[in-house]
Amino acid sequence: MIIEILKLLIIPGIFFLFTLALFYQWLDRRFLARLQNRRGPMHTGSHGTLQPLADFIKLLAKEDIEPEAVDKPVFRGVPILLSTISITALFFIPIWGVKAFVHFEGDLIFMTFLMTLIAILAFLGGWSSTNRFSTIGGLRAAMQTLGYEVPLSLAFIGPAIVAKSLSISKIVEWQASTGIWAIILNPLGFGIAIIALLAELEKVPFDLPEAETELVAGWQTEFSGRKLALLRFAFDLELVLAAGLITSLFLGGPAGPFYNIPWVGVIWFFIKTTIVVLILSNLRGLFARFRIDQMVSGCWKYLVPLAIIQIIFLQLVLG
Amino acid sequence: MDIIKWARIKSPWVFHFNAGGCNGCDIEVLASLIPRYDIERFGMILRGSPRHADVMLLTGTVTRQIKDRLIRIYEQMAEPKFVMAIGSCAMSGGVFQNCYSVYEGADKVIPVDVYVPGCPPRPQAIIDGAVKLLQKLAAGK
Repeated sequence: MIIEILKLLIIPGIFFLFTLALFYQWLDRRFLARLQNRRGPMHTGSHGTLQPLADFIKLLAKEDIEPEAVDKPVFRGVPILLSTISITALFFIPIWGVKAFVHFEGDLIFMTFLMTLIAILAFLGGWSSTNRFSTIGGLRAAMQTLGYEVPLSLAFIGPAIVAKSLSISKIVEWQASTGIWAIILNPLGFGIAIIALLAELEKVPFDLPEAETELVAGWQTEFSGRKLALLRFAFDLELVLAAGLITSLFLGGPAGPFYNIPWVGVIWFFIKTTIVVLILSNLRGLFARFRIDQMVSGCWKYLVPLAIIQIIFLQLVLG
Repeated sequence: MDIIKWARIKSPWVFHFNAGGCNGCDIEVLASLIPRYDIERFGMILRGSPRHADVMLLTGTVTRQIKDRLIRIYEQMAEPKFVMAIGSCAMSGGVFQNCYSVYEGADKVIPVDVYVPGCPPRPQAIIDGAVKLLQKLAAGK
């Protein structure tokens, strides 16, 4: 019992995920800065490694403004729910071995459900702020969900068909035991998942819900202090979640040479997620923002047919 | 060392408010974000919303018409908040000093922490002003 609680709090649990989230935020910012020929954070800790932590503590210590017109219960609930849901979703990702901390048959479907909840919470956060920028940002977040949700789910079905299981842990186990990564059979699905997760994360080509040049800060405009700290933390966790999901479903999770020895699996996981985070931030540096109509129609016109072609291809190959 | 103070010094997020200038200072503020000067090195990010920001970069003459809006935006920022008056116009009214509609400096309207002279100030001067603000924070307050 005590070991279980310690596990939950420290090693595959909250403390470890917190560190990982802050580290990936730093990696993302530094890599994007280098792509833009800048330096990025330099003077906080060694090469700015403590920058996300400094941002987090500063925001926690700042004044927390609640405008009079906001819908208070929802406005207070959104940041808390957003970060807890992100942490909950992360417990389904196998990090320290082929088995995740929590796993059951069908948790892939539960995962897509949690990711939809995250998008709906973004909408609720924008709606409850009753600020015109927040409202438009929240509506865009909901609109965007209509675009990327279907191709994302279709892309997740690919590895599930290959491994004949709807559990993330089982999919990783299958990849580890056979030595075949699902990306070999799902190259299209991998690309689609990366694009759709970029939209889920509200990163640059799809950052319409918080487009700062049009909407001040989108649905986050009214959040300040502790609430903003939790929102940013939730988004860092989501980055880990996105990278972890892609790694587990397509790149074999902690599988690699000698993955059965303790600590080796997590190193493989770490290397693979780092590569996925670098791909995500590379795409972020490469593209300019789409319009909302381009984004939604593009998802339905190109991503959904490609995802269906991917599944047909899988069925033909596997017979 | 006080950890909250450390965090505050290391991550001053800025947002930009043009009270009605000629855009000279605004271009220089934006120039301090570009690869050559890159104020993100000091942890400064340009935010869109005053609710997220710690430091207001105020440029341009503060006119009677903008006064109410300026105070409203200032009050929307969360404590602790700081103001940098950038350029001659925001400092003293500049060439419009004795004009009927112009306040002689932003400090007549809202409290100002750091003044950056110049018409327009170079990006180096803006970064120097930011560093002075951080030193002021580190010294006390």
